[in-house]
Amino acid sequence: MSGQENVEPASLDPQAKAELDRAFEDLYRAHLRDVYSYAYYRVGNQHDAEDLTEQTFLQAYRHFDRARRESDGRPLRPWLIRIAHNLASNFYRDRSRRPQTSLENADPIATRHGTEAIAEGREELRQVIANLEHLSDDRREALIMRFALGMDNREIARALGRSDGATKVLIHRAIKQLQEEMADE
Amino acid sequence: MSEASERLTGSTWDVEHLLSDALRPIEPPERLSGRFEDTLSAVTQAAVEELSDWAEELSESELRALRDPRNWVRPVVAVGAGGAAAGALLVLELRRRGRQQAKGGLRSLAGRVKP
Repeated sequence: MSGQENVEPASLDPQAKAELDRAFEDLYRAHLRDVYSYAYYRVGNQHDAEDLTEQTFLQAYRHFDRARRESDGRPLRPWLIRIAHNLASNFYRDRSRRPQTSLENADPIATRHGTEAIAEGREELRQVIANLEHLSDDRREALIMRFALGMDNREIARALGRSDGATKVLIHRAIKQLQEEMADE
Repeated sequence: MSEASERLTGSTWDVEHLLSDALRPIEPPERLSGRFEDTLSAVTQAAVEELSDWAEELSESELRALRDPRNWVRPVVAVGAGGAAAGALLVLELRRRGRQQAKGGLRSLAGRVKP
């Protein structure tokens, strides 16, 4: 991934830049896990997830001053996730490929659950992750935002550039589709 | 509530519960923060240097342009053209006043001539 072009805040006066950098550091610490989790579930492997996370924050840094001014105090997490979402879309388009590792093979389950906890229910978890792959991109992303990042409907709507109502319907249909696929198996 | 809708409610809860378990947040590797800080500082440093180089190049080129006699022609022509236009306006104004005075003189002469 590229994107290491000029960074806008370098042109600010030193005091303003120092204040902006402090605020950005807070944002980075607060949302690194969210952006990385989203990136990981999106690209399916650690290496590309790290690249995507880094590029997301670099892009965010370039426009952070303006984003803060225009946010009117609203949380910036949906903005960050939207950047990651756009970069991931460009990433696939540029490389003309889908994730090299599917969500199913990414296997975050094994790394997060102890071996004892895995025994029962692991198959169901694998099944639900496998079925996530059958969802359309927007449905899958909405579920990742809801369950991996704990975003509410309004935040997801802002991240996806949809209305609150359309997002509610999107999530409802995604869950319904998963239910149906799970019931069929 | 019918049996079918009860099953539906139950399975809704199940899928959401499974999703909560399957899609947990993932901790980023520790090296990622260090890597990002390095990249960011490299990029901002490059941006600062580029800005300062650009400013220096601009003032150098401006000075060079001022010293080059080929660039003096345009200002000289512009001053000349402006002077000529001002002169032409002055001549026109003097002629207009001259004509007005001539008309006034004829009127006063006509007034003085008795029938």
